[in-house]
Formats: sequence, C-alpha cells, structure tokens
Amino acid sequence: MHETEQHDLSDDSDYAAASRHDVSRSILRSDSGKSTTSEAGGSEVVYSKENVAIHPTQYASERISGRLRLFKQGSSLFLSWIPYKPTTDGSAVLQGQGSSSVPLEKDRYLYTIKSLPLADVHSIRRHTPALGWQYTIVVLSSGLAYPPFYFYNGGVREFLATLKHHVFIVRSADDANVFLVNNFRDPLQRTLSSLELPGVVSIANRTSFHKPRISMSSLDDPERVNGATYDGTSSTSEYSGQPKKSHDPARDISIQVLEKFSLVTKFARETTSHLFCDSHDGLNAYEKKQQNNYSSVKHTSSQSDEMEKTSDMSPVASDPLEFEELRLIWGKQRMHPLSFEEWTSFFDSEGRITDSKALRERIFYGGVEDDIRKKVWKFLLGYHEYDSTDAEREYLASVKKSEYQVIKTQWKSISAAQAKRFTKFRERKGLIDKDVVRTDRSIAYYEGDDNPNVTILRDILLTYSFYNFDLGYCQGMSDLLSPILYVMEDESESFWCFVALMERLGPNFNRDQSGMHSQLFALSKLVEILDSPLHNYFKQADCLNYFFCFRWILIQFKREFEYDQIMHLWEVLWTHHLSEHLHLYMCVAILKKHRKKIMGEQMDFDTLLKFINELSGHIDLDWTIREAEALCTCAGENGAACIPPGTPPSLPIETDMGLYPQDDEVL
Amino acid sequence: MATTGNNSVNAKLVLLGDMGAGKSSLVIRFVRGQFLEFQESTIGAAFFAQTLAVGDTTVKFEIWDTAGQERYHSLAPMYYRGAAAAIVVFDITSSESFEKAKKWVQELQKQGNPNMVTALAGNKCDLEDKRKVEVEEARTYAEENGLFFLETSAKTAINVNDIFYEIARRLPQAQPAQQPAGVVLTNTPAQRSQSSSCCS
Ligand SMILES: Nc1nc2c(ncn2[C@@H]2O[C@H](COP(=O)(O)OP(=O)(O)O)[C@@H](O)[C@H]2O)c(=O)[nH]1
Ligand SMILES: [Mg+2]
Repeated sequence: MHETEQHDLSDDSDYAAASRHDVSRSILRSDSGKSTTSEAGGSEVVYSKENVAIHPTQYASERISGRLRLFKQGSSLFLSWIPYKPTTDGSAVLQGQGSSSVPLEKDRYLYTIKSLPLADVHSIRRHTPALGWQYTIVVLSSGLAYPPFYFYNGGVREFLATLKHHVFIVRSADDANVFLVNNFRDPLQRTLSSLELPGVVSIANRTSFHKPRISMSSLDDPERVNGATYDGTSSTSEYSGQPKKSHDPARDISIQVLEKFSLVTKFARETTSHLFCDSHDGLNAYEKKQQNNYSSVKHTSSQSDEMEKTSDMSPVASDPLEFEELRLIWGKQRMHPLSFEEWTSFFDSEGRITDSKALRERIFYGGVEDDIRKKVWKFLLGYHEYDSTDAEREYLASVKKSEYQVIKTQWKSISAAQAKRFTKFRERKGLIDKDVVRTDRSIAYYEGDDNPNVTILRDILLTYSFYNFDLGYCQGMSDLLSPILYVMEDESESFWCFVALMERLGPNFNRDQSGMHSQLFALSKLVEILDSPLHNYFKQADCLNYFFCFRWILIQFKREFEYDQIMHLWEVLWTHHLSEHLHLYMCVAILKKHRKKIMGEQMDFDTLLKFINELSGHIDLDWTIREAEALCTCAGENGAACIPPGTPPSLPIETDMGLYPQDDEVL
Repeated sequence: MATTGNNSVNAKLVLLGDMGAGKSSLVIRFVRGQFLEFQESTIGAAFFAQTLAVGDTTVKFEIWDTAGQERYHSLAPMYYRGAAAAIVVFDITSSESFEKAKKWVQELQKQGNPNMVTALAGNKCDLEDKRKVEVEEARTYAEENGLFFLETSAKTAINVNDIFYEIARRLPQAQPAQQPAGVVLTNTPAQRSQSSSCCS
C-alpha cells in the first residue's frame, strides 16, 4: 500500500522535479490506485497515472505527455497534471525534430495543472473507444474545459472509480459518459447516486473555493519551470483561495489555454461547448438534439435524404455543405513531381538528408520524377537511413548484396532429391511459381515468354520466404514486389526494399488475418466519424465488416490504378506525412464519393463488392489523395484514435518500448 | 439460397478450389466469354452475375469467386454460407489440387447448406499431355460423394457453359423464397453458428 515513492505535494516544484526523475522507474510498475501519504505536506496521492497526454495539435506526434494524479489534502481532493520535462537523452525530445512539430517549450508547460480542486469541477466526460486511446475531458463549474487527457496507458475506469471514492459523483441521466461532480441540484440523481455510491466522501462541505491554477509563470519564463526556481503560483497560501466571482481571472487564463487548442478537433470543442450549455442553463440541448436525430433516423432510415440529417450528430464536421467548404480549404493542390535538382538540394556535402520531414512533405504533395525514384524509394521504405552518408550507403549495398546471396543459396542449394522430401519447400515454390507468371504480365518489363524479370521476381519471393520463413509466401506479395523490382532493376536491392516494406505490411498476410482485421475495423470507425449516414447505411445493410475494401488495403490499391499511378501513390503513402494510415482515409474518400449511389441503389454486400471491384481503373488518384488529406486533417485526433497503435502499416508494437511509443515520426 | 419469382430464380454460386486451378478463368469464360493466359490472382473475392435460361425459367447466377490460397481459407465460409450451388475446381495436371478439392467437398458437406448443388470441375482438360488426375478417379470420387463431375477447359471453353447449365437444371426450383437474394451475412441462426468466420 505504501511502497510507492513519497512526495511533498505542498511543494509543487519538488514534485515536478521528482516526477521527472522517476518517470522511467515508475512506469515499470503499476503505480495507480495506490495511496501514498506524504509526511511533510499531509497530502495523499490516491491515483497516479503515467503517460497521460494532451494533444495541442491534431497530430498525435506532437502530444505532451505527463503524469495525472489525484491527491487528497485534508478532506479535499485535487487533480494535477504535470508534463514530463524534455530530457537531452530522453524520450520527450523524440517528439519531433522538425521545427514546426515541436511543441514550444512554453506550450509544454502552458497546460500544466498543478492542483485543481475537484470542488471546481462541474463534470467529467469520458470517451473510451473500443480501439484507440481513451480520453477524458474535465469541465469546470465556470464552464471552461481542459483539453482532453489521453490515457495512453489506459486507466480511465480506474480514474473514475477513484474519483467515486472521494467525491460526490453521479452519472448524467442524459449521457452515460458524462459524470457530474458535486451535482446536488437534481434530487433524483442525488438519491440514485447515494444508493449507488455508499461511503462517498463529499467535498461539498468545503468552505472555500480554489480557483483552478494553470501555471501562468511558465508563459513568461519557461526556464523557471525548472526545479526550485519555479515558484510562481506554487505556494500553499494560494490554497486559501477566494470565493468564485463571475469575473474570475482564472477564466481568462483558461480561455487562453483553450485558444491554444484551436486545432483540437471539432469533436472535443463541441463536446465541451455543449457541456458548457449544460452547466449554464441546466438544459442538455446537445443530447436532446441527438435523441431527436436518432428517432428521425429510426422512422425514415430508408430515405437517403433523411439519412443526411444524421450527419448532425456526427462528431466531426460531416455536414455535406460544410464538407464542401473544408474540401476547398484543405485538399491542397497537388504539386509537380520532385525533380532531380530539387532532390539533390536535400543533401549535405557527405550525402545526408538533413531535413527528412520537409522531403517527405514535398513528396507527399507531388511524388517524384521517374529518374530519381530508385534512390528515393530506398529512403522512404527505410532501407536507407536519412542521416546516412553516401559512403555508408555504398558500403551497405555491398554488404547487403552478399547477405542476400547467402539467403538465396539456402534454397538454391536444395537438390531435386532433397526437394522430393521437402513438401513445405515444394508447396511454397509452387505457390510462388503460380503467382509470378500472372503478375503484371501486361507491363513490358514482365511481358513475354521466358522473361528473366519474372524469374527474378520468383527468386526474390522465394528468398523472402526463407528470410521470413514464418510468414512464408502469400498471395498479394507478388503485387507488392513487382513495382519495386521494376523501379530498382536490381535483385538484391529490390529484395531489401521489399523486406523493409514487409516490416510494415507483413501483418497484412498474417494467417489469422489480424493485420487486415485491425485495418478494416479502423476503417469502419473512420467512416463512423467521417460519414455517419454511410456508416448507418452499412450497419443496416450488414456490411460493417468492410470486406469489400479488402483488396484496396491488402495491396495498397495496387489493382485499382495504372502502373505509373501506383508508383506515385505508393511514394505518397510511404512518406507517412500526416498519417501512416492515409490509405484508410483514401478508402473513406472513395466510399464517401459514392455514398449517394451506394445508398440510393440500396446495395447489399454482393452488389457492393462487385461495385467496388469494378471501380478499378476508374478512380481519380489526385482527387482521392487530396480528399484523403482533407479527411485526415478534419478527423484529426479523433481519426487517429480510431486506429490503434500497431495497426499496419505502423510498425508492430514492441513490448520493450520506451516511454513514448514510437509513432508517425519514425520512418 | 435460390429464390424464385415469376419463373426466374436467383442462385448464389461459389467457386472453391486450389489457387491456380482456374476458378477465375472459368467464371470469366462463362460471364464474358474470354480467356486470359495470365489471369491475375484473385485478392479477397470477386463477384459476378450471369443469367441462364433453362426451359421456361431464367436462372440468375450470383457468382462468388474466391481466393484459393490456404491462408485465406478462413474467409471462405463467408461466401459459401447461404450459397445454393458450388463448383469445386481442380486442375487435372495437379494431383495436389485434386486433394485440395476433396477437402473443399468435405468442408461443404459439413458446413454448407445441405441442399447445395455441388459440381466438381476437372479444369485445364486441354492439357491432356500433362494430366495427373485420371478421369475415372475423379468420376468415381464424385459419384461416391453425390457430386456431378465434368472436365472443363476455360481456355477452349469446353464444358464451361455446360457445367453452369447443369447446375441451373438441378437447382430445386420450387424452393420457397425464404429470404431475399444477396443477403450473405445474415442467415439462419443454425447456419451462422456453424460458421467459424471471423468476418461475419
Ligand atoms: N491451359 C489452361 N490454362 C488455364 C485454364 N484455366 C486457367 N488456366 C490458367 O491457369 C492459371 C490460373 O488460373 P486462374 O483462373 O487465375 O486460377 P484461380 O486461382 O483458381 O482463380 C492462369 O494462368 C490461367 O491462364 C485452362 O482451362 N487451360
Ligand atoms: Mg482466382
């Protein structure tokens, strides 16, 4: 019970400093739900959770992680959230090297909550998607709200359970995900909650109010946040507080904070603003509106124009009109492909790419010209490191060439007699032989009888199935390799590029289909937030497995576009600019585009699959990329939250990861 | 299930069999009258529709062409569930594909619709000189298992229309319309519980 570290919470600067030091230690154990009594300050930590982050922008990579705590002082409960300090050796620095993506230092501390009395909290909204990160939004009695806290290590339930033990908390009658704190207005709720929550320690008898303290001093001088020099608002005397006035200065600070979150997705804004309404007039307009919408759906679900109405309740702007506008703003004009001259300007004298983020962004918006594709792909795929030198890469190529030969020899040396006794090998070779002869044979590079490139395709796939024996060969892989060999024109280099690609796409071919299922599931979640009418239609038509998008996802749209378009698309996708999962937003974009037809014709699963398969060759690539970009930006963090970590093509989650799970920043 | 209405029957048909046996080629020959030497592999599944006239009845086939590789096996129930007919295809130049075909037949007998009309197609019969599976062997197997058997060639079109025509003829046309055609994923609870598909 008391083995966790002890803190003097009356001295916040020590607390902040200490929390930085034991970050690495404390995440190794389950540190929440344990009580710690501090001798000096008389405060008791009743809940502590690492890796609770806020997202100042829509990019998960720009999150600020910290520790969320609940602590008791006397009979009062307080909440604190202290961001980790970026360390020189450590993880917080990892959050971004590119200038624009690093949260400014003052931003980092702007959101610090040193001690927020729960007496000032009006309600807490929780959001616990089945997949993705859970988060909560804390709304103050003043009507202001803190940005969503994302619980990267889970623990929302525990958080609420702990709150339940210490403050008077009731579930909103209108929304099961809203928990009202200190709500004594509704006698019925009160009765219910007292039945439900015996032994609640009410904080209602606290006589004084404390204003929420958002550490302002850090705004002026971020350096002072550090250690003992940080004293701005941390003295205990502030706890004496004053009765809350309508012109609470804290309110202005909070507004500043909220403005910082202008990029926080519309969902969060809506949620909080509706809760504001709730707190001010006691009405719950949002939920009522929702109910109305739901009932209108029920009665008219077959009529597509009525279905449009349901977009009102979509968390993200999916009102068709609004979307038209967003599209105009966001779907950036595509650029001309990256040229050789431009490409060379990204290198330093020794051949390092200094600003890989800028390069990736540039490629995202225009792709690359044919003559440099061979070089560019090696970086995009991760075969070459951006910060490697010319000399290092040359050396790598020779090492890798012989390494490839070694692996290839493993199957090359299997004699006919040996093969006779090696069913697994014969089967594998048989699968590959069958597929390579029907892979892109209409492309000149693979055309005609006894084409040597078909043999190379075969050799690489067979070698890969030895390199990754557990995964083996699976239909679809030849589609992924074909353009790579076409571009590289070199067996060993193609092999290693394919290996790099399969690091990300390998799970698409898992025996249990887990990689595909996670993507299809994420897709269904994305459609749910980005096009709720279509989602509702699929639901009603029993098409929520999204299996009709299987081919799109399995081989990255390889069968849907012309060969040169595929190369363009893949290099765009591989930049992982905006999202590693742009392909899922592309799926949404295409489905959305055909929503009218799909719903108007009441397509069932069969018809839908046929329709989708027949779109092949008729999809406007540039439009789709732009639309996907807009949807991705629009969905923001809620979109990212639909896609659980480790969903291909994200790198698989490794268990021994550091503090900050590697994300989009890593190529 | 086959459904009837005004002398027309909708029938869901699924093609099963080893990869490369010629499932896609057969259906493309039947639906489009074409043959591609390098017919690309099937990713996921493909869906086709084609209508046949049998006597005074028209049969509209809704055809599911599936991916043959073992790895995608777990997805197959999603397609054969509720199918009125199945063609299990093997390649007469490959004994392995014949063994795979037997496994599919077994699975259909266990998991499929009991009234399903099942055909066995020994495809690529134009490649006589590479034959590995004798006609008699396949015919005997088919008889023992209540299937009807034809050797086909998607390449030369031998017996392709015939096999679909024969299926159409054998469909229990009087079968009442229990459910609208095309609803794959909702089925009777009994059938659903038999399925091991994770996609439903
Ligand atoms: N000679 C010959 N080749 C065929 C025949 N049917 C299919 N093929 C070839 O066999 C390969 C695999 O055919 P495909 O229809 O894709 O098989 P699936 O994997 O079962 O769908 C392709 O190269 C076809 O051209 C046939 O009847 N005769
Ligand atoms: Mg096929």
